[in-house]
This record gives sequence, C-alpha cells and structure tokens, in this order.
Amino acid sequence: MKRAAAVLAALVIVVLILAPLRLNGYAINLLYITVLSIGLAYGWNIISGYAGYFSFGQIAFFGVGAYATGLLVADLHWFWMPAAFAGGVLACALAIPLGYVMLRLRGPFFAMGMFGMAQMVRVLVTAIPATGSGSGLFLPPGSGITEVYYWTLAICAGAIALTIWIDRSAFGLRLQALREDEQVAGTLGVDTTRAKITAFALSALIPGLLGGGYALFLTYIEPDAVFSSRLDLQSIVMAILGGLGTVWGPLIGGLVMTQISEALWARFPQIYLMIFGGLLVALLIALPRGIVPAIADRFAARRNA
Amino acid sequence: MTEPLLAVDGVSIAFGGVQALSEVSLEVRDGEILALIGPNGAGKTTLFNVISGVLRPDAGDVRFAGRSIVGWAPHRIARAGVARTYQIVRPFGRLSVVDNVAVGALVHARTIERARNDARDVVGFVGLGAYADRPASSLTLTQRKRLEVARALALRPKLLLLDEVMAGLTPTEMDGMAEFVLHLSERGIAAVAGIEHVMRLVMRISHRIVVLDAGRRIAEGDPAAILTDPAVIEAYLGAPLGIGG
Repeated sequence: MKRAAAVLAALVIVVLILAPLRLNGYAINLLYITVLSIGLAYGWNIISGYAGYFSFGQIAFFGVGAYATGLLVADLHWFWMPAAFAGGVLACALAIPLGYVMLRLRGPFFAMGMFGMAQMVRVLVTAIPATGSGSGLFLPPGSGITEVYYWTLAICAGAIALTIWIDRSAFGLRLQALREDEQVAGTLGVDTTRAKITAFALSALIPGLLGGGYALFLTYIEPDAVFSSRLDLQSIVMAILGGLGTVWGPLIGGLVMTQISEALWARFPQIYLMIFGGLLVALLIALPRGIVPAIADRFAARRNA
Repeated sequence: MTEPLLAVDGVSIAFGGVQALSEVSLEVRDGEILALIGPNGAGKTTLFNVISGVLRPDAGDVRFAGRSIVGWAPHRIARAGVARTYQIVRPFGRLSVVDNVAVGALVHARTIERARNDARDVVGFVGLGAYADRPASSLTLTQRKRLEVARALALRPKLLLLDEVMAGLTPTEMDGMAEFVLHLSERGIAAVAGIEHVMRLVMRISHRIVVLDAGRRIAEGDPAAILTDPAVIEAYLGAPLGIGG
C-alpha cells in the first residue's frame, strides 16, 4: 500500500516535470493554472484549514507578490527568479503586522475583515504611481511559460512538503488545538497569538511566491487580474471540497475540480458553469467534510469491522 | 510566614454594570485543597477565569508563587504551573484523546513524540487508556470530565483549578473523583475545587472552604466551622446542606 503510493507519487512527479516538453500551448496553460490553484489552496489551508481562521483575503498576498515582482523586473531590471522570491518574502513580512491586527477578529468577522483588507491592499498597491495605478504594468519579455510553470510547480511541491511537516509537528498540533477551542488551547499553554500569526505568515508566503510567477505569465498586470476573487474563491473551494485541514485535501480537491470543470466545458460550453455549480453543491452535501476525510472514514470503518 | 502558592487579593470585576466579583480574597498553600463553594452565579467560574488569565480583573491582584500574574497571557500562567478544567467540558473534538492531552504536555516535552508519550501515561492514569486513539468527540460525558483533568495534569501543574468537577457525575463517579483529587494533593498538587452542591464531598476532600455568594466572599474556614456559619446557611437557603450527592 505504502509502496504503491510512493511509486504512484514518483510517476506523477516525473509526468509533471516532463509535461512542458510534450504539451501544446493550451494544455500547458491549463496545467499551469491547475498547479497554481492547488498551490494557492495549500497556502489557504494553513490558516483556514489547520488554524480555523477562514480567510476571504489571502489573494491580497498573491497580488502583492505579483506587483512586487513586476516592479522589480520592469523598473529595477532584476532577474525574474530573485524578484519573484522577493515578492513572496515581502508578502510574508506584510502578513505579520496585518495578522497581528486581523487575527483579533474571529469567525465571520475575520472572514469579512480579510475581504476588506484585501480591497485595502489592492487600493494601496495601485495608489503607488510606479505600479501604473489602475492602468497596469508591462513586464519586459524574458521568461516563458516553461520557467513560470517550473517555478509554480516547485512552490506547490514546497507547499505540500510544508503541509506534511505541519500535520506531524508540534506547531500543527497547536494550530489544530486553537482551531478547536482557542481559549482552552491558551489555558493549556499554547501561545495562540504567536501560533496563528506564524500560520498567517506562512499562508501569505505561498501566494506571495506564486504571485510573481503569475505576473510573468501575464506579462501585463493590472489590479483586477492579480487581486482576482475568482482565483481566490476557486482555491478555497478546492481546499474545502478536498477536505479542510488535511494534507491531501487541496491536491485531491484541485484535481477533481479541474477535471470536472474541463470535461463539462468541453461538452456543454453554454451551460457548463450551471452544471458545475450544481455538481459542486451535490458533492458538498454528500461529503460535508470533503473527499479526503470521507475516504479516511471509509478505511477506518473497514479496519475496525 | 511563607508566601502562599496562590494569593488572590481584593479582586473585583464587573460586566456591563453587573458586579461579578467584589473584592474577593483567598489563599491556597502548597498541596492544599480549597473548596470554593457557592450557589450558581456566585462567581466561581469568573474567579477561575481571572486566575487563569482568561479575564483581567478591574481591581485587585493575583499572585502565584510570589509573582503577580495579573495581565499575563493564559499560556504564560499555564506554563508557570496553574492548570484548569472547564465546567462545561470543552474537548478538542476532532483530535484524538492522546493529542488532546499532548497539547498540554508540549509545555514540557521537547518533541511531539515525547509529548505524545507523556500524554499516553496521563491518559492511562485517568483511566482512559482504552480510548487513547479515539477522537475526543466520541467520549461520554464522564470520560470527557476525565479528559479535562488529564489535559490539565499534562501541564504538570502546582495548582489545579477544578471548575465543577462533580457536576454531571453519578454518586459513585463523584467518590472516584474525590479520591483522585485527594491523591493529587498527597503528591503535592494544590487544588481549588469549585463545587455548587454535594456538601458530603466538600467535607471529605477539602482542607479549607471559601464560600462565595453574589460575587462576594461571605465565609472562610475549616469545613466544620463553615457548616454552622449563619451567613452560609442564609446563602444556601433552600439548598439542602449536607444532603446533596
């Protein structure tokens, strides 16, 4: 069982690495967007799945990463890779003071607060004259889809590795404790403020790093494109469908969603969103905790039987 | 005179005009069991919230092992050696019983493996060994009460704040809990046990009793003296002293 999973994982990795050599333009773009969304879902899963702080604003850090990379590449003529890396670090650094304020809110107040926060960040970023304000920013040509794809694939793999570590670590146990009951976690010795700000910063680092790649992919960035509620929502739905606060939830949810979405789009281009929405609702009613916990329960039941 | 382990000194707190505690003072010495009794709404849970750092008092001081702990974050107070249980049991439902306890054990253990090992010992000690790997949400109320105590013990506290540990237990289970608290006291762990009724058990386990009523301390003394105190009888008017449990 373990061995089969390892072989399968190795096979998937090889396919993903070799993919750009064989795929055409449309397929590679689709694969890139899929990996990107899954990466975003992993980033979101740390603060919202493990720590239980449901955020509707992590896309702000994606936008910050994209704009920082755009400015560094266009105005300061940095090489794209250090620029994208710097974008991630900036998003992460920004998350610490923001988290200190925002994480005082709980439940729906935090969710709505983060939505507002993302709008604020968007306005602030576009208020900087160098970003071209609302009209956007052109990046010089330089890196192609292949580089962007590999960068994104690497960040996504890193996000999965980080999640595996969190799931097994003392830090992860503290996060889950505060998700279940923050006050009790505190009286059991968990420094809840520190734990949740750390989680928030990690949940900002990943979209920050991915944002740089997206800026290079678009080559022209404007506020609507990079502070994209569509990307944000899509990654949230992936994580929820797969299973909140689980290691493999965002990956499984992401794959299932992309496959269904593509299959429907190809067959029913006019009404695919309607069918897709209905299917999503049905899936979430059937598996309220997501796909991964449902499968885990099935296995546990068989073992106990 | 040596400094008591816990010294609550003139603590007051109000919630929107309701005075929940008025200048409450009490002391607990090493290994001592202090019963904190009083009718529902007397302020016992509020006092536990103040001591454990969940609430900050409007006035007064709380000293633990000689240091003022007012304004400390709850986790810091817990790490200093004050552990508490909750009246309404609050397990981390999605975590296993062991992991519930390991959260507290992390305060002393360097790694999560050690924390889980320590937690297993504590889980066995409170008699939940057979349920160690089940999710906490699958436990019965009695088992959840034990889990509350196990989580608190994993902190290796010097002082345990037990909020209504007897509530919801059958008489036999109450006796078991009483033995358990006495056993902890023999091992040097002091306790403040908040108990609404069940005087029979209060008499048996406590070295001293403090009586709260409507946020005020109305009596303090050894168990025999408290039973005959007119103010206490007044506060419990209608409540059958000495019969409960």
